[in-house]
Amino acid sequence: MAASSSAETKSASWWNYFFLYDGSKVKEEGDPTRAGICYFYPSQTLLDQQELLCGQIAGVVHCISDISGSPPTLIRLRKLKFAVKVDGDYLWVLGCTVELPDVSCTQFLDQLIGFFHFYNGPVSLAYKSCSREELSTEWDTFIEQILKNTSDLHKIFNSLWNLDQTKVEPLLLLKAALILQTCQRSPHILAGCILYQGLIVSTQLPPSLTAKVLLRRAALRDQRTPAGGEALQDHGAALPLNVQIIPVFLSEEEAVSLREFPGELITSSPAPPARLQERASALKEGATRHVESTAWTVATTLESTSPDVAWPNGRGENGHVSDHPAELLDTAWGRAPGLSHSLGKQAALFRETEDLDLSEIHIPQDQEMGTSSDYFAFQCVCAPEGGGPHCKESVSDSGNPDPRLPETVPVGTAISGLFSPSAPEMLSQNGALEQCKDLPGDSSAAPISREDCLSRRTSWPLSSPRLESRQTGAELPVGDQGMEQGVDGVHESCSAPHLERGSGSADSQGTRPPADRTACGSTPASRTGLVRMNLYTHSVKGLVLSLLAEEPLLGDSAALKEVYHSSLASLNGLEVHLKETLPGDEAASTSRTYSFAHLDRIQNVLMANLPQVATPQDRRFLQAVSLLHSDFAQLPALYEMTVRQGIAAQVGKVTCPRVTLFLGAEPGFDPGVPDHEKRLRSRVRLLQPRPGNLLPAAGGGGAELRLPEPTG
Amino acid sequence: MDEEFEESLRLKFGQSENDGEELPALEDQLSTLLAPVIISSMTMLEKLSDTYTCFSTENGNYLYVLHLFGECLFIAINGDRTEGEGELRRKLCVLKYLCEVHFGLVTVDGQLIRKELRPPDLEQRTRVWEQFQSLLRTYGRLREQEQSFAVEAVERLIHPQLCELCIEALEQNVIQAVNSSRERAGEEALHALLLVHSKLLAFYSSHGASSLRPADLLALILLVQDLYPSESTAEDDDTQPSPWRGRSSQNIPVQQAWSPHSAGRARRSSAGTETDSSLPEEYFTPAPSPGDQSSGSTIWMDGDTPPTDTPQVQMAEDTLQTLLPCCPVPSSPRRIFLDASVKDSYCPMVPHTMYCLPLWPGINMVLLTKSPSTPLALVLYQLLDGFSLLEKKLKEGQEAGSALRSHPLVGDLRQRMDKFVKNRGGQEIQSTWLEFKTKAFSRSEPASSWELLQACGKVKRQLCTIYRLSFLTVAPGRGGPQLPRHLQEQVQTLMQEKLMDWKDFLLVKSRRNVTMVSYLEDFPGLVHFIYVDRTTGQMVAPSLSSSERTSSELGKGPLAAFIRTKVWSLIRRARRYLQKGYTTLLFREGDFHCSYFLWFENEMGHKLQIMEVPVLSDDSAPVGVLGGDYYRKLLRYYSKGHPAEAVKCYELLALHLSVIPTDLLVQQASELARRLWEASRVPLL
Repeated sequence: MAASSSAETKSASWWNYFFLYDGSKVKEEGDPTRAGICYFYPSQTLLDQQELLCGQIAGVVHCISDISGSPPTLIRLRKLKFAVKVDGDYLWVLGCTVELPDVSCTQFLDQLIGFFHFYNGPVSLAYKSCSREELSTEWDTFIEQILKNTSDLHKIFNSLWNLDQTKVEPLLLLKAALILQTCQRSPHILAGCILYQGLIVSTQLPPSLTAKVLLRRAALRDQRTPAGGEALQDHGAALPLNVQIIPVFLSEEEAVSLREFPGELITSSPAPPARLQERASALKEGATRHVESTAWTVATTLESTSPDVAWPNGRGENGHVSDHPAELLDTAWGRAPGLSHSLGKQAALFRETEDLDLSEIHIPQDQEMGTSSDYFAFQCVCAPEGGGPHCKESVSDSGNPDPRLPETVPVGTAISGLFSPSAPEMLSQNGALEQCKDLPGDSSAAPISREDCLSRRTSWPLSSPRLESRQTGAELPVGDQGMEQGVDGVHESCSAPHLERGSGSADSQGTRPPADRTACGSTPASRTGLVRMNLYTHSVKGLVLSLLAEEPLLGDSAALKEVYHSSLASLNGLEVHLKETLPGDEAASTSRTYSFAHLDRIQNVLMANLPQVATPQDRRFLQAVSLLHSDFAQLPALYEMTVRQGIAAQVGKVTCPRVTLFLGAEPGFDPGVPDHEKRLRSRVRLLQPRPGNLLPAAGGGGAELRLPEPTG
Repeated sequence: MDEEFEESLRLKFGQSENDGEELPALEDQLSTLLAPVIISSMTMLEKLSDTYTCFSTENGNYLYVLHLFGECLFIAINGDRTEGEGELRRKLCVLKYLCEVHFGLVTVDGQLIRKELRPPDLEQRTRVWEQFQSLLRTYGRLREQEQSFAVEAVERLIHPQLCELCIEALEQNVIQAVNSSRERAGEEALHALLLVHSKLLAFYSSHGASSLRPADLLALILLVQDLYPSESTAEDDDTQPSPWRGRSSQNIPVQQAWSPHSAGRARRSSAGTETDSSLPEEYFTPAPSPGDQSSGSTIWMDGDTPPTDTPQVQMAEDTLQTLLPCCPVPSSPRRIFLDASVKDSYCPMVPHTMYCLPLWPGINMVLLTKSPSTPLALVLYQLLDGFSLLEKKLKEGQEAGSALRSHPLVGDLRQRMDKFVKNRGGQEIQSTWLEFKTKAFSRSEPASSWELLQACGKVKRQLCTIYRLSFLTVAPGRGGPQLPRHLQEQVQTLMQEKLMDWKDFLLVKSRRNVTMVSYLEDFPGLVHFIYVDRTTGQMVAPSLSSSERTSSELGKGPLAAFIRTKVWSLIRRARRYLQKGYTTLLFREGDFHCSYFLWFENEMGHKLQIMEVPVLSDDSAPVGVLGGDYYRKLLRYYSKGHPAEAVKCYELLALHLSVIPTDLLVQQASELARRLWEASRVPLL
């Protein structure tokens, strides 16, 4: 309790109030305001004060709705700002400091409401079925959890809590993604995410859902039985100890976005259009939509052209192709469309950014491929050959005569790059992009690293491992034997299809009985547009696997068993590895000469180098970031901004429709001195090609750091 | 109800109102509607010592901005997303400033100013409200159309020769002529200026006069534009060479045909625009365009009228007057209050009399005089200031009872007040002062600080009442002393003769004052710029007029309009960032690279070291000149660190094509600033 109270006092600096007020309880003149207060944070607030705030805000909201025809969403005072949401008789209000941008304040409230809906269903129902005290404890946990984990920058961006991927071996991310994919093949399972100590390791969910699942971990760790969870627990007497299934409520859009694509598509597509659209509309970014559409076009042309273009060129000789055309289609398109879709998207993005000179990248000449997208199409189409359902055979058949592979993906470098323990560091230090650029003629390194940077740059963490896994699967035959680390993952991916078949369920999510889905879809939890689903959580120490599934999962013990067993071993392994690799204390922050923050607007994850306790200089950086962020959020055409306060400069860039980079210069930075300029320029370059995070800046790097003034 | 609701919403500005008094009028309906908000904001202030500053609804469709000036709560509402919080707040501050210009120090007392703004007499009340509504409308129009009002700096008509000629004429034929006249009834001419549309052609101040603040000069232009609007849009119509005739013959029928219940709104639309294309949310274009109409519930759909229009049921009296004659007729002189130094000491809101003498449509002369009673204003100001200081100390609880008496400030105040009361006489002030003295200086039982505060407030009110009686009740418009009519006509005719040959040239020149052509060669990629000298409050910018007849280099089509919106949004953003302490701003948006710089120089034009600029809260007065002179404060703040030299402050806003790399942009900006600085060395004033 001591810890929580300290968190509260600390939090008070920006999170002042949060309350839920039920207007229907206060109708008559004599009704006390307190009757309507469902929940008030902080709970130690004097009741009079609570009544004052609830009464005044509710009154003003009513008055403004009267005049404007719509309720206010934001009420600002001199020292406070309130985000407001009216939901029938219920009034949700979140009070923050004025320093927090308006957008963030509103988003936080939406997020809170989202949490509540997710775990408890519609408010009116929840408050009917549970007591206020029960729900209040739940609220307390939610809020405490949010406050504890929200840094200054998270506050501004409202971003998700993610694992710093530069500190994790990429292979582990790959493994996590594979676990998720494997689970996804089980019936009813839609998508999921893996968290480690409350941070995202890998997720297949859109950010809004990931955020909700993230919070659950806390509740679980605190040994709290969820409201309404008991009923399920006794039902699943067979459930292992650390597995829990609880009902959750998704908004209709969320449910649609999960169900929209058959499992495979969800798995491999880094961001299904629904998700993209969700973000895109949030960003009001015409450009995003443009990219999206490009992506789709590319994907379709790939589908239509690649069999013609890619196969006849000598690949027809490949036994698989000519012998099993039907199966080729099955394997290639059963799995590849998603992949090609994602690749297509990448290719499209790739072209858009135009930063990476395609000519610099080695494209194997015997492929006769003119464009990068074709190149990728080829990659993704050929991969399933080896890594598909027949992978067992191909793995065992180490002499698989595929003449192309050694050339396409020079195994020596690629494989060792992937699997040698030092490789991740190498990747993160150099940055894959740098690598691509620096070694234009080096055919051995180019393809894989490029693929690496591509996939990492544009996708959910899981998609890159998937790509790699396919490749690995294909390359295994020629690879060296000592790849213990990789074997796990490879086996996962290879054995999965067999498992699936063995289980007797539909052999891919793509053909999951539609009845299943429609049945679930037609049972909305209430008229409020919430859809009931199940949240399966399996925790292994700090590691939590959370899966969203259709409701029948609970009754389907075979499916449950399948999910559990398919993931158990790998979860244990992943946990051990993560514990070993993750640095224990992050406090050892090296001396920084500059600050940076980097937001992936699609995934809503953040990377930054700010310390826990902000220095005055950091505050300045934060102030600039919040101002710039508000502007970037509002103006789709704005893509670069530089501001200067006193002598310190701050730069904000949107490097492509989805990534925003903020960089703060040190106060000693003198714009007039060329040396400084050069230093900063190289810094931006260094920052940008971080694997998995930064897309190259549009148009020539970050040389825009000169802030001289007019007049000489 | 719905009708009524719309009607009351059309009134965007609730006049300053206190604690929601009820009254039957459109304005009062709105105040009734807003009463819960007003009451709640008072409650919050009392209980939380914090109060509402802003409400916004979904997607910012409706925006409410609240600003508390002393006891008066000002509320601005926008329902069509045309104005952001900054603009609405600025408008409130401008409204407040206009109140000060019209009522002077009476604004110090909440009760008295309330009476001025809401006179008990209905007819008078309507007149006052209409006057302010008209002023706000004019302000909104100027802010959207004129770059000078967008950046709140005076734009000079650049023609040194002509300027010199005019200054000479103003000196000899106006100021000297008036001051040497025996009929001037004690009035002393201080300043005379010539305006062509909203641009300043020449300005002359008599030797004894103190200089005019940029804000006051802008306010004067605003007043003139309100009296004799130069409808850039209407008058440029080829069919209507005379703007005034144009207005009277065209726009009135237009109004009637259009929106009978909101005649005021239509007043600045040009003929032929009433094509009924109902464009909802037309993208803001400053050019006159159709779409100005009210239909249904979206009331401010108009794309081109300044969204800030404060539409009112009727036109202001002043504007109605101007419709009648086809030749300009001088309006009656006005009492206005401007800052000045009296007897070497600074005094805000000194009463002046303003004579606006139209020469031709679009060209006006303004004459400012002061009355012999000016010293009284100084005395009253000093006393009020003293009591305000005392009030502050009482509120802080520093001094009470005996400690108060011994305070040097109080002793001095007592002496001056005694002297004033003795000289002045007056029953009420005497008794109030006596009451205060017994409370404050009684040795037997010193009063509590609360009691003292009450007494203090009463004295202040008495002082304000005297101020009001002396300067408002006997204002020139209300039968107070003023220059005789024929003297006004004499100077008017003289100036007309002097400028007869230049008249047409001036009118054209004012539309194309500075052209971009002269800069294109030396600054490739430069699209537009605005250069502001904040020390003198003057600006230079290429013309951006996009009216029918006079187009800028950008033409008059959508491109010109597009550039305008870019420039206006750059101004907005630059201000926002300056408010947050950023003096440099560069951003690329779409095809443009926008930049803003603020810097300081010494007298010699050497750039001074930049320093931290204060970071202000969102609800502080906006960065600008009219609604509280931000730059004046900034200069004072900066000068503290540079006591030895005179500090000048400059701003440059530039719009480049986005292909121009940043270093070239900055280099160009430097060169441009240097060139403009050199040009400004040519003494004109």
